[in-house]
This record gives sequence, structure tokens and C-alpha cells, in this order.
Amino acid sequence: MCEQRKQEFTIVGRSERKVDGIALVTGKPKFVADIDLSNMLYVKILHSPYAHARITEINTSRAEALPGVMCVLCSKNTPSTRYTTAGQGYPEPSPYDTRMFDTKVRFVGDRVAAVAAETEEIALQALKEIEVHYEELSPVLSVDAATALEAPIIHDEKDATGIFDPVRNISAKIDINVGDVKQGFAESDSTVETTCETQYAQHTPIEPHVVLSYLDEDGRLVLRTSTQVPFHTRRIVSYVLGIPLHRIRVIKPRIGGAFGTKQEILLEDLAGLVTLRTGRPALIEFTRQEEFVSARTRHPMRIRVKLGAKKNGILHAIEMEALSNTGAYGAHSLTVLSNVGSKTLPIYNKARNVRFSGKAVYTNLPVAGAYRGYGAPQGYYPLEVAMDELAGKLGLDPIELRRRNHIRCGESSPIFEEIGEGREGVAQTINSCELERCLEIGARRIGWAKKRGLRTRNGPWIHGLGMSIHMQGSGIAQVDMGAATIKMNEDGSFNLLVGATDLGTGSDTILGQIAAEVLGVPLSKVIVYSSDTDFTPFDVGAYASSTTYVSGTAVKRAAEEVRGQIVGVAAAMLESGMTNLTIKDEQVISIDGRSVTLAEVCQRAMYQVDQFQIGATESCVQDQSPPPFMSSFAEVAVDTETGVVKIVDYVAVVDCGTVINPKMAQGQIEGALANGIGYALTEVMLFSSTGRVQNATLFDYKILGALDIPPIDITLLDSYEPTGPMGAKSVAEIGINAPIPTIANAIYDAVGVRLTKTPFTPERVLSAIRSHSV
Amino acid sequence: MKIELIVNGKQQELDSAPGETLLHLLRRIGYKGVKKGCESGDCGACAVLLDDRVVNSCLVLAAKADGHRVTTVEGLAGQDKTGELHPVQEAFLEHGAVQCGYCSPGMIIAAVDLLAHNPNPSDQEIKEGISGNLCRCTGYVKQIEAIRIAAEKMRKSADV
Amino acid sequence: MALSNLKEYVRPDELDVALSLVKERGTSARVIGGGIDLVRSSSPDIETLVDLSHLSLSYVRQTDKGVAIGATTTLTEILEAPALENYLQGVVVEMLHQVGAPPLRNLASMGGTLASAHPWSDVITLFLALGAQVTLYNGVTRMVPLSDLYASRALLSPAIITEALLPAYAKGTAAAFMKFSRTKFDIAILNCACLISTQNGDCKGVRLTAGGTPQLATLLPAAAEVLLGRRLNQTSIGQAAGIARETTLVRDDLRASGNYRRELVYAGVKRCLTCVSRQLSGVSQ
Repeated sequence: MCEQRKQEFTIVGRSERKVDGIALVTGKPKFVADIDLSNMLYVKILHSPYAHARITEINTSRAEALPGVMCVLCSKNTPSTRYTTAGQGYPEPSPYDTRMFDTKVRFVGDRVAAVAAETEEIALQALKEIEVHYEELSPVLSVDAATALEAPIIHDEKDATGIFDPVRNISAKIDINVGDVKQGFAESDSTVETTCETQYAQHTPIEPHVVLSYLDEDGRLVLRTSTQVPFHTRRIVSYVLGIPLHRIRVIKPRIGGAFGTKQEILLEDLAGLVTLRTGRPALIEFTRQEEFVSARTRHPMRIRVKLGAKKNGILHAIEMEALSNTGAYGAHSLTVLSNVGSKTLPIYNKARNVRFSGKAVYTNLPVAGAYRGYGAPQGYYPLEVAMDELAGKLGLDPIELRRRNHIRCGESSPIFEEIGEGREGVAQTINSCELERCLEIGARRIGWAKKRGLRTRNGPWIHGLGMSIHMQGSGIAQVDMGAATIKMNEDGSFNLLVGATDLGTGSDTILGQIAAEVLGVPLSKVIVYSSDTDFTPFDVGAYASSTTYVSGTAVKRAAEEVRGQIVGVAAAMLESGMTNLTIKDEQVISIDGRSVTLAEVCQRAMYQVDQFQIGATESCVQDQSPPPFMSSFAEVAVDTETGVVKIVDYVAVVDCGTVINPKMAQGQIEGALANGIGYALTEVMLFSSTGRVQNATLFDYKILGALDIPPIDITLLDSYEPTGPMGAKSVAEIGINAPIPTIANAIYDAVGVRLTKTPFTPERVLSAIRSHSV
Repeated sequence: MKIELIVNGKQQELDSAPGETLLHLLRRIGYKGVKKGCESGDCGACAVLLDDRVVNSCLVLAAKADGHRVTTVEGLAGQDKTGELHPVQEAFLEHGAVQCGYCSPGMIIAAVDLLAHNPNPSDQEIKEGISGNLCRCTGYVKQIEAIRIAAEKMRKSADV
Repeated sequence: MALSNLKEYVRPDELDVALSLVKERGTSARVIGGGIDLVRSSSPDIETLVDLSHLSLSYVRQTDKGVAIGATTTLTEILEAPALENYLQGVVVEMLHQVGAPPLRNLASMGGTLASAHPWSDVITLFLALGAQVTLYNGVTRMVPLSDLYASRALLSPAIITEALLPAYAKGTAAAFMKFSRTKFDIAILNCACLISTQNGDCKGVRLTAGGTPQLATLLPAAAEVLLGRRLNQTSIGQAAGIARETTLVRDDLRASGNYRRELVYAGVKRCLTCVSRQLSGVSQ
């Protein structure tokens, strides 16, 4: 067991209001497209109508001749550099298989050309004037077609790098062995095996991708963009366009949601090139249709899980084999695949024999990328369904089976070391884990003992209960880096400058809370700014649940350094030893009760004696990635006449270490659960026989609305992660792992059918019920 | 064509092409609080009050709004010149109902309409009131709570 | 630009002026109610829009014949109308709560809804079951059953819908509506409605409809027929639902398969009839 180190906090642990909240609720122009620049050009993109084709000829002269058209871009007049759109740490573990405009198109929606014009209407008109001749190639529209013998080769270009096996359409591959699973299964008393398949699903931030580019007074390229990764954007745009990095400035204003889809460089290269070519500001906004077709999706996967256990219910062998569809390009193909195993298997660390293998294959379908959960939701589905089956087979309560097997404080898993982000991982011991309490509290709150297995009937409705447990990580150990700068102003306020990228999560607020806590000031005295590559220090960006843990630690360190400087100045003012001083309520107070205000400290440092700027920049790279943990429970009612699954109640109990801001942490979990419930029940991208997205609208791609949300009961456990800032871990992703297996298991409890394909549409559920009872 | 709108209490005579939507026009003249999310009435980010009812401004031709009152999120705070937030805005802030804030203007407008016509809504009625406003960040829990609390507050101040 | 070729937006003060505009401009002119479909269509063919909002056609009135609803009345105004609160146990209100969401219901007009005739329309599915009549104006005013409008769309060219009438029904009549959709803010993947009038507890008049099949709602005469002269009970309801399942024309679209819709017809008809049966036994007690 780990010790609980309780600390008393003043600002941390309080549901402070969002620092950017007033501007947001009053509709201030905080988002990318909310500023008007004179002389701005509108850019529209011509997308491929074919899933797989070679462009044999492209003629843009008629489009160029159209009055008002300023620039037409295509493969003929743009850089041919291969790169990855994935905004990841450098060098990126994703293959360089993308070109700004290629001579081959690989999915319906791929870039063919772009027009910049005086108005949107002219740009759209000009797109129609571009003549393109295609040589159609046979499209590869499923993972099975991609892996079939003599399948068409999607990436036959010679200049791509980092593709595992282009000839066999394999973007990435992984194979990890711990112990010997074959022998492990032979030694097991009981085994179960299940294969689950997940669908093409989309992030659908309410603000689609948007970028505004312009040249500043010194001719530098400024990209004001809706991104999770401003620094990666700067690096990748510099590389693709072949211009020096120092000639680019990336500004991230407020972001209208992202969930991973804005961890990609999808438009910035294009807007930047238009601006460089024309000298004029350029705006590119994806329409909702383009967002569906040409942005990013979650990797659809088919995953087989086999579990072997001893009679006592202790897991002895786990085998997980994943087949991932990365779509036309390999953005995040290896790393998402890795996470299928690395974020799931350590939770059952008792198994001595573990194999995780998989491949990510190319298809001529929309491109998959980073999406909240990053492979873990796909992995937990078969794992937690198999655990439910195993419990049944062993005659154990599913909670009891988890209790006997889950990881605990002070323990480790070889998987941590085996699987990293596209390379080996980092060994780590769990320093905080409240899974036992998560299980106990969750079971109580859902009424597990009373309600499960009863199959209570109410007309055509039958009730059932299901559960699952989960972990995620907090950043990527030894990869993710965050830095923070704090400088003091002479009224006793502070500027906190972070590269960490608040994309609506509230990270500006919680980072501000961490700084305010250390500096002994109210949050209102911390002016938080994120992010601008010219002014804020480097941060990899907002992904992998890294901000609270990694960037938060950088903020804490910077604040501590600044605090030290303040105390130093105050010591001179109060003629006291530094150790006799404390900072509280915006004052430095000595042991004998004398005090100076922070404003006075800064005024002295700025204007009077031994002048210097009180301030510091600190960085953080962590050696571990402490997982948040959760238990998830649902009561469902299944309509046996229509197959409709209604969630009657949802309970989640989460251990994310110290909770910096309770309302915001709850909000992260509620949002992730809502997204996950939609992923489980309604969301699915549908394709025509030629690979075209058939439901590229919010009219027919159904995300949940307010009326669809079940009662959600969240408990945040009091927990403490010794390596985290103020004891905190991260919390943004974990919730999305839970709904699919939890609901699947609840449906099984209700009607006795195992759903192995998402989403659990009424039609699919009804058909499963019917074929079960026949 | 020339149209007249009263936007947030201010009468304006504007030029508008006959096919221009109210969303396009409002953003063009500076009301950037009106957000564009789908331009097909499916998300509610562009919601404004037309006279006193919430509508998706992407589905309203500016010409149709000619001669009518339009209220955007920018017009809710400080209508009494104090700059004070509308109780719904206040509640959204206080109760964690805002995450990225992109759907907030539309949802706040929908809530203002709801509470103007139904000062004491049930949770079900609150959900229905914002059912046309999609949010991808929150799961709606905090918005529902915020609207419930704003309603209470507004009822109390109406009683005074 | 939503309607890129739109040239004029007219708001006549008289119905005759509106009609003559529609006649003169031919297919390039459209009558606009809420305008949702017109804006969504982004049709380049539309050059003239004739807005009916100055014709005093926004009303919901109780008359001796039933409840009259003016063409430009929004769905919200209908939903909030006192005259419909108790009409057939509030079935119209209950249906309207399930149509779209407030920002759409505040725009959508009754006339536009009937004229657009979306195959998934909840309003049309219920109004057909209720035996709604529509008033058309093409220089003269005439009232036709709503079903005629869909039997022959020629009735609308050129004519303007000015009113819908939901007939008054005697005691012993009840109606129900049922919608199936993927999320709550969604169009129906199938909807059903029924209206039953009884005499001494036996079904005397029965009208069943199903819409979003994915075609526009139609009556289900064979299923209705089996109930005539019988009491509503588990057996008769099951029989009617079974016949509806077998006889309703359904097909696949991206929202659901035809086979699944068949099951929804069964469940929908069964539930509508069960609901009506409950209402009727409540009345007789």
C-alpha cells in the first residue's frame, strides 16, 4: 500500500471559475475566425472524388483566369516533401507518407488542389474550373481487403519513409512477448476468447478546423490556428514549406474543442503557403462536411483477446491481437496501436504470460488519427468483455474477478517497460492506485448487489447491470516535455506563460491554480496565457493526458523558483533570514509578524535596489506516467421488441490523484463518458461501395444531445500521486474507455447476448437478441 | 437589398444580398459571439433570439429577419448598463458549464428563451430546451445544473 | 451564401398578391414559411421568395369544426396553443415535443411542414391519422383532406396552403403517436400514429399511419380493418400490429434497414394501440 500524503491547499482543490470564462460566455472574439483582417483571401480545397486514383493530368489555367482568384495550388507548384500530419514529439514515430498535394489520391476527400480567392464564392466557383484527369485504381475498402494477397498497394511511392511494409499495406506493426502465452494457456484452468470490432467514429468538435495566416510587419509568417500542438505545427510547417522555423509564429487562441483531431497539421501548411505566395492573409475553415470527410477519425479496430486463469481466478496468460485501420495515411498508426496494449494490459499485472501483437494497415478510407483515449477504448472493449465472460465461466462476480487481478500501489507491470510510444517504454512502479475503493464505491452507488442478474422486466424492457475498470496514463514518460514561464509585475500580479494548450479543457485555469497556490495569491492575480510560439516556452501540446501532470509540474517548479526570489527580496527588506518567511495572502510575513506586500517586493526589485526581473522558466519531463484509474458501472434497460438500449444510470468512480479543480475534473469525465456513450450506441461513419462517407453531417452522424444523456454519477476519490504536482494525475481521457465494455456487459446481464461490434444500434441489438433466442 | 434590424437593442440599417443568412450577416457586422458549427441547423452554435425566440441563425435569411429584433450573446450582459452578466451566463461560469465555450453562446441563448417562457422548468424541460444545442465537451450535466440554478435565481429576483 | 441566385424577397400584405407572384415567377419562386428547407437546399434555381408572414396566418383557433391552424403558425406556437392542450389528450403537443428542437420549432411553420412533406415528418404521420384537412388558395379557397395533398401534389401548383384543420372528435375517441429515432434530436427512422373512435367500447373508426418507412406516411388500411367492430385488447392489438408489420411497405436507407423498420412498425402500432386502449378505458370509467 502507498501512503496517503494529505496536504492542505488554498487554491488547489477549489472549483475556481475558468480564467477565460467571462470572455467565453459573453461571446468575445476569442476564436481563430473571430478577427477580421483586411485584404483576406478565402481558401477552398478540391477534394478527391475517388478512393484510389492517380492524377494523370491537372489543369488549373481556367481557375487561375477567373477574376478574383489569387492563387491555385496543386502538386505541380507545391513542395513534394514527405511528412506526417501527426503532431508528435520529434522525430515522430509516424511514417512520412503524406505530401501537400500528391499525384495520387488515396481516399475520397484527399487533397487535390486548392484555390485562394477574394471571396468564398469565387474560390468555390474556381474549384469547378480545375480540370483533373484521374486514372482510377482499385480501392481498398476494408482491412481484410488491405491484407489480402495481391491487394493493391496504397503507398507505392518511392520517397515515403517509416512505413513498416508498404507492399503489404502495413503501416505499423508491433509484437511484444512476456513469458510464454502458449504455455500459459496450457497451464490455465479456464480460458475465454473474444473478438470485438469497433467502427469509424469522429471527434466532431463543434468548431471545425480553422486557420488564419498572415505576414507580420517584419514579413514573418503568423499562423493563428485551432491546434492542440502549436510547437509541432511550427516545426512541421517549417519542414514542409522549407522555410526557417524562426520565420514562423504560431498563435493558439481559444479552441472550440479538439479531442485529438487538432493534434494534426491539416490546414496550416496550406494557409501558410497561400500567404507566402500572395503576401496576403488567408483563411481556411473546414465546413462540417469537410470535417467529417477530410479531418481525422478514430482508428477502427478488430481485436482478439484470449484470457487464461487459474482456478482461483488469477489471470495466468493474456493474449491480445489488434488489427487497426489507419485509413489512407499512417498518422499515429504505430502509437495508437501501441496504446491498445500499453494502456490496458498493465491493469491486470498478475498474468505472467502476456503477448500483445498487432498491425495497422492502410485502406482507401478516411485517415485515422489521435482521438481521446488513443487506442485504449478499442483495447478495453474486448479485454473487459472477456473478463466478464471469464467471471461467468469461473462462477465469480465480475467485481471479484477484477479485485483478484488488478494492479495495486507499489506494484508494476512488465508492459510499462515493453511498450512505449513507438519505442520501448519506461519501467515504472505504481505510486497511487485506489482501484479497490473505486470498485467498492461504484458497486454501492449503482446497487450492484441488489440489482445484478435479476433481469427485471418492465413490459418489453429488461434491466441489466454491467461494469468495467480502466486506467490511462499521465503524459508520455521521458518523451513529453512542458515548460512554463512566470514573471512578476509590480502590483503583485504574475504572468504565467505556458506552451501547454488549453483547448477548452480548462488547463489554463488549473495551471493558474497551481501557480497561485505556490505563490500565495488568489487566482485573479495570475494572468494565464497560452499559447504563442513567440512568447510562451515550449510544450509538446495538449495530448496524452499530459497537461496537468507534466506541464503542471513545470508550472509548480517555476512558481517555486519565483517564490524563492520573492522571499530573497523580502528577506532583505525585512532584514530577516529567508527561512523565517512565509508567503500568504499576497504578503511575505516574517516569523515575528512583520510583513511586506508582494507589490512592494516587486517594486523594490524592479525600481529600487539590486534591480532584476523576478521571474523564472522551468521545464518538466517525467520519468513515469502514473495512470489515473476508474471503475465504471451502468444499469441499462433493453427493449426486447425494438433493440433500443436505454442507460438508466451511469456511475463512475475515478482516482486522478489530487483534484486541482473538482468541477473541471468532473466535466472532463462527464464529457468523456458522453462521448463514449455516443461511441457505444449511435456514432458511426457509413461508407458507400466506392468509399464515400454517406453521413458527413451532424444530421446523420448522431452525437448525443442533452435529452440523450443518462443520469451520470461521478465520484472523485481522494488520492495522492507523489510524483505529480500537488499530488495530481491527469484525467482527460480515461472516461472514454469505459462506456463500450460497461454497456456491452450490462446488455449481456439483461438479455444474455454478447455484442462484439460497435455501435450497439437498436437494429444490431435486436438482431442479436433474435438470433440468440432462436 | 436594404434591411433593418434591431440587434441587441440597436437599430441598424444594413445592406444584405437577398440570399445571405442571418448568421453570415451577424458575423460580418461584428457579432462574433454567433458561432458557425454546421450551417445546417444541426448544432445550435449560431443560435440567436429572433424577437424573443431562439432560432438557428444559419437557417434564417437576413431578409426574413428584416424589421425584427435580434439578440445575440453579446446583448445579454449589462442590458441595464451595469455590465452585469445575465443570470444564465453567471450560472454557466459558476457551475462549470463552459469548457471550450464554442457552443456556450448558442446554448445560453436557448436557455434564456426557455426561462423567459418557462420560469420554473423541470430537468426534462431544461434538457428539451437545449436539445438543439450540441456540446462535445461537457456531457450537458453542468449546463442543466446551471440553468436550473439560474432559473431559481431569476424567480427569486422576480419575486422581490 | 445560402441561396446564391435569390433576387427578391417579397412580403405581400395580401394573399392574392402572394399567389400572383408565385404564378408569375413560376418555378423560380417559392413560398417561404420558416425557410429551413429552402436555406438548407441552397438551391440555385430559387430567385424569388414570397414570405407569408404579413398575411395574418399565424393562429391556432378553436372552431365548431375543430382546431384551425394558420399556415405561418410556428410549431412552437402550435405546441403552446391552449386550444391543443387537451385536444385528444394532448397528442399533438406530445408529438411536437419530439419534433426537432426549439431553435427549429421556432422557425418551422405548419404550412411549410405540410408543403415540404419530408418522408420522416412526425407532423404529417399524426395529422394523417387525425384526418386533418387543409385549406388551399389558388384564387378560390377550398378544403381538402391532407391525404389528397400527397396523393396529388398537383393540388399545390400553384396554390398556397393557408390553414390546416384538425377535426373535432366526440368522446370515445383517442389518438396516439410514437416515434423511433437514433437520438432524441433526430428525424424518425420510423413513426406511427393512430386514431380510434369507439362505440360501446368497440372500434368504429380506425386510422393507422406509419411514416419514415423511409417514405412519407401512409395509412395502414388492412391493419385498421381488422380492428373494426372489435374491442381493443391484447389479441386484437397484436393482430393489427402483426398485419401492419406484414403489409407496410418498408425499405432500407442509411438510417435503418427495411427489415428493422418492419419490426418498428409492429412495436409502434402495438404501442400506439395500447396507449389508446388505456386512454379509452380511462374515459369510460
